[in-house]
Amino acid sequence: MNDMTNQRVLRLELLAAKIRRNTLDICMQRGGYAGQGVALADVAACLYFDEMRDDGEGWFYDRFILSNGHDAIMTYGALAEHGSYSMEDLRTYNADGTWVDQSPIEGQLGFEITAGSLGQGPSQTAGIAWGERMKGNNKRMYCLFSDGELQEGNVWEAAMFAAHQKLSNMVWIIDNNDLQATSRTQDVLGVEPVPEKFASFGCFARRVDGHSIPDILAAFAEAKTITDRPYVMVLDTRIFAGIDCLEEALPRAHYVAKHQADWDAGLAEINATITNLERQING
Amino acid sequence: MLLADQTAIHAAPFDEISFDLCSRRKDVVMMSADLSKYCQIIQVKNELPDQHLDVGMAEQNLISVAAGVAKAGFVPVATTFACYATRRAYDQMMICMGTGPLTSIVLGFTPGIANPARIHHQAAEDLGMVRAIPDTTVIDPMDMTEFQQAMNVAVDTPGLVYMRGHRGNTPVLLDPAKYRFELGKTYRLKEGGGVGIVSTGHASQWALEASAILDAKGVPHSLLHVPTIKPANEDEIADFCFEHKTIVTVENHQIVTGLGSLVTEIVSDIGGGPKIKRIGIPNQWAPGGTLGYIREQLGLDAPTLASRIEEAAQ
Repeated sequence: MNDMTNQRVLRLELLAAKIRRNTLDICMQRGGYAGQGVALADVAACLYFDEMRDDGEGWFYDRFILSNGHDAIMTYGALAEHGSYSMEDLRTYNADGTWVDQSPIEGQLGFEITAGSLGQGPSQTAGIAWGERMKGNNKRMYCLFSDGELQEGNVWEAAMFAAHQKLSNMVWIIDNNDLQATSRTQDVLGVEPVPEKFASFGCFARRVDGHSIPDILAAFAEAKTITDRPYVMVLDTRIFAGIDCLEEALPRAHYVAKHQADWDAGLAEINATITNLERQING
Repeated sequence: MLLADQTAIHAAPFDEISFDLCSRRKDVVMMSADLSKYCQIIQVKNELPDQHLDVGMAEQNLISVAAGVAKAGFVPVATTFACYATRRAYDQMMICMGTGPLTSIVLGFTPGIANPARIHHQAAEDLGMVRAIPDTTVIDPMDMTEFQQAMNVAVDTPGLVYMRGHRGNTPVLLDPAKYRFELGKTYRLKEGGGVGIVSTGHASQWALEASAILDAKGVPHSLLHVPTIKPANEDEIADFCFEHKTIVTVENHQIVTGLGSLVTEIVSDIGGGPKIKRIGIPNQWAPGGTLGYIREQLGLDAPTLASRIEEAAQ
């Protein structure tokens, strides 16, 4: 890895660590989907701070569509670093009466669709991608959804449509964490092999280590070389990956209540990671 | 506002409406789930292919892709049969289209008993389902004139708009030169005291047929056509109802949750109103067959309908 590449990766690793810290900070107030937010910090750092282009007005030119509402915690952690949300506001997450929804409604900053009813993001993103292409612009669309959502038929209807329409301006990112609401995905209703399924539907699909920033960046770069099909990134992730003590303690936590996690130990670990990364970056 | 000559028929209403609309409005996209031919979207598909999008036989995809098309700056018109739009894709209508401000139109064809295939192709509960969604617009036009004008209004109405469509031989009853569809407005098609008849959509055609028979029999009556089911014009509906001792509602929809329910809700909230008789599809499976046959089976053919209205007035 040359110096420039190394600096790019280190910068994103630092941002990912800060997104992890923001996630803990938000969820330790009243509980939340902390494990997912921490696990998705790597792809969030790549997406919000490297892949999506600026619109020159403080927002993004490309469009991100969140399909699984509970992963809003990832967006919150990232947009706090972006400066478009304050941590003061985000600490009201999960409080009665707050506008910072756990699973936001269409129109809240950063959320293009109402995403709580699962399996509806891929098709809406495909509709957006069709429309943006019809307008003749070069915007790129990114949709995050979960392995559990693959059990919804609407996702596969969308895959057929997107492949038929050759929507190569769209990347689907699947949070393949083998976890859904009540148990491991493989125990509830197995969805693997995920890349092969999407490939057979006519998409370009690749399995990617969700905790390797170089691999995620390489996949985003590869997606731009595919010009006749949608790109599906099957992102293998682990709940709480990047904060070892919490990954060990709560490996299958779909939702973390306030009292379940040792937030102080997690914060201490991620703060040490941040200090270490800052030291490496500053030489 | 009614034409003196009530015999004009349009054979393919939505072919003309969709082509006219898409020719004028380049931001409108006609969408289908493999039923364009059966909803009569012919010219747009052949001559304006950039404004026609087929998602295959997948109604949940139809509605959710359409919601995305709206989010890219277009005005989607998602067309399918009313039964599939509402029953199969209700959640997508409510969540993908219904929670935001962007214009998204769902057009439900062959509503109520206007489909020869029984039960699975008939939508006897669509109006009730959709009017339960907050902030939604629900329109049931009565003829070609109103269908065309309501579509022109719908493409500039924010949020989810659900409208019932007409296909095949459709009468032209309202005078295009004199009638103006306005969202939320009700229309007094006949002022005559006696029993007050409130109708919507296809059933306003049936009410006019029954009206001719009642006139011949010398039974005094009035007709109120209510094309906008939501937002309902409660004041105009209440004013009409309280001018009569007996109200009969007529609808191509179950008498549960539709127009009859809407009228009774409005009147009972005020209290002390007229007797209200609801006529429509009973809360039971309707038969299949030709529309004429099904109407006879359900007591909705013109002579039986006129008799039922007359009985209710006594």
